[in-house]
Amino acid sequence: MGSEDEGEEEEDASDDGQVDEFPEIDTRSDTEDEDYVEDGEDESEESEDEEEEDEEDSSEEGSDEDMHIFPKAKTVISDITGQPKRVYPEIEPDYDSDSSTEDTPNRVGDVPMHWYDDLPHVGYDINGKKVLRPARGDELDNFLKTVEDPEAWTSAFDKNLQMDKPLSPEELDIIRRLQQGENPDANYDPYEPTVEWFTGKGKEEIMPLSAAPEPKRRWVPSKWEKQKVMKIVRAIRQGRILPNKPKTASTQPQYYAIWNDEPSNAPAPLPAPKPRLPGNAESYNPPEEYVPTQEEREKWETTDPEDRERDFLPQKYSALRLVPAYDQFIKERFSRQLDLYLAPRVQRVKLQIDPESLIPKLPSPSSLKPFPVYRSLQVPHEGRRVRAVSVSPDGGWVITGDEGGVVRLWEVIVGKEVKRWTFKSKVGAVEWCPRMDVSFFAVAIEDHIHFLIPPNLPAPILTATQHVLSPANLPPAPAVPSPVKWVSVPAAQSSSDAPVLTLNLPSSPEPPKQLVWHRKGDYLASVSEGQAGVWMHQVSRRHSQAPFKKIKGAVQLVLFHPSKPYFFVATQRYVRMYNLAEQKLLKTLTPGIRWISSMDVHPSGDHLIVGGYDRKLCWFDLELSDKPYKILRYHSRALRSVHFHPTYPLFASSSDDGSIQVFHARVYNDLMTNPLIVPLKILRGHEVKDGLGVFAVRWVPRQPWLVSTGADGQASVWCS
Amino acid sequence: MASTSSSEPTHPVVFTTQTQYALPSQKFMIPTTWKRYQLSQLVNKALSLPKPIPFEFLIRGEILRGTLAEWCAEKGVGEEETLEIEYFESLMPPQRMSTLPHEDWVSSVSCQLSGYFLTASYDGAIRVFDYSQNLLHKSTTHSAPISSICVVPKSSSSMSDDSVLIASASQDLTARITHVDLSPSGKAKSQTLASLHLHTAPVSSVSASLTGSHLLTSSWDGLIGLWDTSIPETDEVPADEVPGGERKKRRKITENGDAPPPKRKAPAAVFKSHIARVSRVLFGPDAKGAVAYSCGFDSTVRTWDVENGVCASTITASSKPFLDIALTHNGQTALTASTDRSVSQYDLRVSTSSATTPSIVTLSHPATPSCIAVPPPFSSFGSPASTNALEHQLLTGAYDGVVRLWDLRSTKGAVAAFRVWEGAGMKKVLSVDWACGLAGVGGEGGLEVWKVAEGMPSS
Repeated sequence: MGSEDEGEEEEDASDDGQVDEFPEIDTRSDTEDEDYVEDGEDESEESEDEEEEDEEDSSEEGSDEDMHIFPKAKTVISDITGQPKRVYPEIEPDYDSDSSTEDTPNRVGDVPMHWYDDLPHVGYDINGKKVLRPARGDELDNFLKTVEDPEAWTSAFDKNLQMDKPLSPEELDIIRRLQQGENPDANYDPYEPTVEWFTGKGKEEIMPLSAAPEPKRRWVPSKWEKQKVMKIVRAIRQGRILPNKPKTASTQPQYYAIWNDEPSNAPAPLPAPKPRLPGNAESYNPPEEYVPTQEEREKWETTDPEDRERDFLPQKYSALRLVPAYDQFIKERFSRQLDLYLAPRVQRVKLQIDPESLIPKLPSPSSLKPFPVYRSLQVPHEGRRVRAVSVSPDGGWVITGDEGGVVRLWEVIVGKEVKRWTFKSKVGAVEWCPRMDVSFFAVAIEDHIHFLIPPNLPAPILTATQHVLSPANLPPAPAVPSPVKWVSVPAAQSSSDAPVLTLNLPSSPEPPKQLVWHRKGDYLASVSEGQAGVWMHQVSRRHSQAPFKKIKGAVQLVLFHPSKPYFFVATQRYVRMYNLAEQKLLKTLTPGIRWISSMDVHPSGDHLIVGGYDRKLCWFDLELSDKPYKILRYHSRALRSVHFHPTYPLFASSSDDGSIQVFHARVYNDLMTNPLIVPLKILRGHEVKDGLGVFAVRWVPRQPWLVSTGADGQASVWCS
Repeated sequence: MASTSSSEPTHPVVFTTQTQYALPSQKFMIPTTWKRYQLSQLVNKALSLPKPIPFEFLIRGEILRGTLAEWCAEKGVGEEETLEIEYFESLMPPQRMSTLPHEDWVSSVSCQLSGYFLTASYDGAIRVFDYSQNLLHKSTTHSAPISSICVVPKSSSSMSDDSVLIASASQDLTARITHVDLSPSGKAKSQTLASLHLHTAPVSSVSASLTGSHLLTSSWDGLIGLWDTSIPETDEVPADEVPGGERKKRRKITENGDAPPPKRKAPAAVFKSHIARVSRVLFGPDAKGAVAYSCGFDSTVRTWDVENGVCASTITASSKPFLDIALTHNGQTALTASTDRSVSQYDLRVSTSSATTPSIVTLSHPATPSCIAVPPPFSSFGSPASTNALEHQLLTGAYDGVVRLWDLRSTKGAVAAFRVWEGAGMKKVLSVDWACGLAGVGGEGGLEVWKVAEGMPSS
């Protein structure tokens, strides 16, 4: 506060001082004084200049006299202004008229002279006589003429006379001036002396223009300016304003090379869309076919404005003057502006996709024949559920095992039961040995696996089979004793009525639910309920072993790979693929099925199908991924069985909905081509009993026929 | 005949026939409300036949069932179009004569022996019935199901008239020749003379030549065996060295009949060309038996030169596993039944180089046709005029238990169809034989005998 007071005091003091000084500051008078002085000097200089110029002019005039085209001007003192002025002599029309073409005999005027190119004359003189074309030599003559004639370089071709004419000195002077960039007029003086009208001696404006007294503000210093200046002065004193700010980086000028940036490669912005050109419909008098009928008019009125094909109705007027003002003008302009403003300036590649084309093109089922299409015959099983079925490798016989413990052997093509074996408990699984040189099959019942020989075998095969199942000299007992006991009937007492060989498995509440042979027919894998339910039986060594000590989850199914020493084990949710030779897990497939019911591997060994109780079927490409290549969900109830045909590109699935679906599944050797899966046929015929449908489907080798067994106690053969 | 009343609509028609009852080739205006009966009356009156003969009328390969107007409406034939109607003598509908139940399925029937029916059953027995439905004889020839039997015509005069040679093929891998003595005086006796050993799989069929000198057997192993019917003195094939009890049992069975064991015969020739099961083989119609025909699951019909034992020509169909083959009368076409529910007619003379041979006629069935029978060429009571119709007729038995009578000129539907073993559900027909105006139908329910006229007017 004190400082401010001081400042104010100082201010007051300085004010006083300034007030004292102010009357002395009168810039106007100073400048006026200077002006006066300068004016005087200028005048004297100018007068000198005038004299000099006059001298120069006079000297130049003499030299340029002959070059002037125009008559010489005289400088006289005007009577009115008292100033010198140029006066030109009067022009007499007879003699002095400025006609440069006076001696020109050709009077055709300014017409294109090429009109006379083909004529002997070049025009007409004033008397109407032809002016003949002057003789013109050839190029050599012209050249010689230019050499001989010293004036040739100052002559030009006169189109009117069709001959070369020397240029006059005035024309040459004009050319020279033009070449030097001067005014072509020789008389033009760019340095004329200024005429001083209001300045100079005796010409000052003495009288004011108005009688108003000079306002006070002209000489009283401005109080508000002073206050403003003092505010700044105080700020500077207190250091709030730094007079010279330090130069920072930001304040320094930024330099950059404007050519360093790469020019953008982006395409030039698209031009705005053009408005559509009016057509016949927009005409005020359109053809009749464009005039909407009453129906079209009503339809147009009922549709929403967005859905209308065009936003106006064509109307017909007999004359243009009858056309009213366009009522939609403002709206249309506005929408046009919106279009211009909102139109996306990008080239949009619109995908014209037909939804039909997205559906994969599947070949017609009729082109994929043969496949089973009808039920050829049925084999009744006295109403008992038939869960187990197997077809002999030669495709002639089928064995089925029902829940009553009866195993039937019947012909595929006739369906006649030829032989039956009756056991005490229900049959869990039957499986025919895939070897062709021997013929027998395995039946899983209770804790046993029985090996049976079909009747009516030719002698060599029967002998070989008996040798395989009950060899005369048993192979040496394995080092590690197995809990599975192998009991066989000697070959001499063996018959087709009773099992030749029986395996006693560890006790289990349920019979083994699956038997599966290795392709070579030596190994047989069985799956029972409970832990360690997977057993691998080797017929040639008469030895059984459990390949897995402990498996996470209950094993549902097992499967041998058709060509490699791989082994598939399906638990409830996962399918694991083991390498039996190297004893390691290769991969775990996750089908995403909650409970796996069935599984089969393609004969090529590269594809696996897995069916589940939750109605899904997953196709795995084993080379591709652990995830399914395709998930098919087409059955309305749980899947029970899936099977690939050994030779035809077919697979079938059976379900609790009582239907069997047949698919064409073509696998390509080319790894790039995806397998082709085509649904072919839904085979219906099995009845659903107690919610259970078709338990098992098996293909007949060598023929496109299918054998199915169901809960309704029927086995069916489906033929193509 | 154009003098029909003008009020009702008429249709221009031209009648043709291959029978002796030919009408003048003239355009008739037939009322469209007419049915078969009126047309038949028209033909009868026009020819002024002494005895009325019913006719069947065939329009564009279809036998007229309803009125002409209905047919035209169904086919979309205009009123102005002239129809060509072929007519032939109609047949009496088949009548059931008798039912002979069997203990097991009947796999094969033969009516070739006049006065008797021979059946082969899945229990391995051959049964002989006479026309009065009496079981004359039953001989358990095989221990396994018999798949086919045939009567071997008498080749020599050494046998008495009442004895007959029967060849049977079985699933026990052999075919056998059995001599059955049917002399009316005493009890019928049978003796298995020889067993034919070649095949390593069930034998599917056996057939004899017309002279009875040779037999042909076909098997699941793709082989066809040619045998002569002479009975050798000793075994030509050594017995199997099988230490199983099965063989012993069979021997016991055969030895029960206090007859010497059958001689084991070897084939005269083996025909190898089929690549899958051969389902049926039979001799050609010529008396010498120089040609044989066979069909198999490899979708081929093969013609064999019996003398040289080579396949002369092959007809290949596309995925039609054939179940049965029969020859038509002229011996130039073959009728085949296949599992794709069709009976096809193939021209045997055509030897095409293309992959598949098109069939002449295809008769589609609702179920698997298992057997075909054509009427024998020389029917005892067939008139010479009726052989024309005979050429076009065939019987097929199917797994739906229906035997159908077809006319090859009418391919759209069967001329007549009858269900055997009615009331017993759907029982499969496995064999049909047709001779002497009688058709024997064997199958799941035993044997049924039907009276089926063979292409002649009902008397």
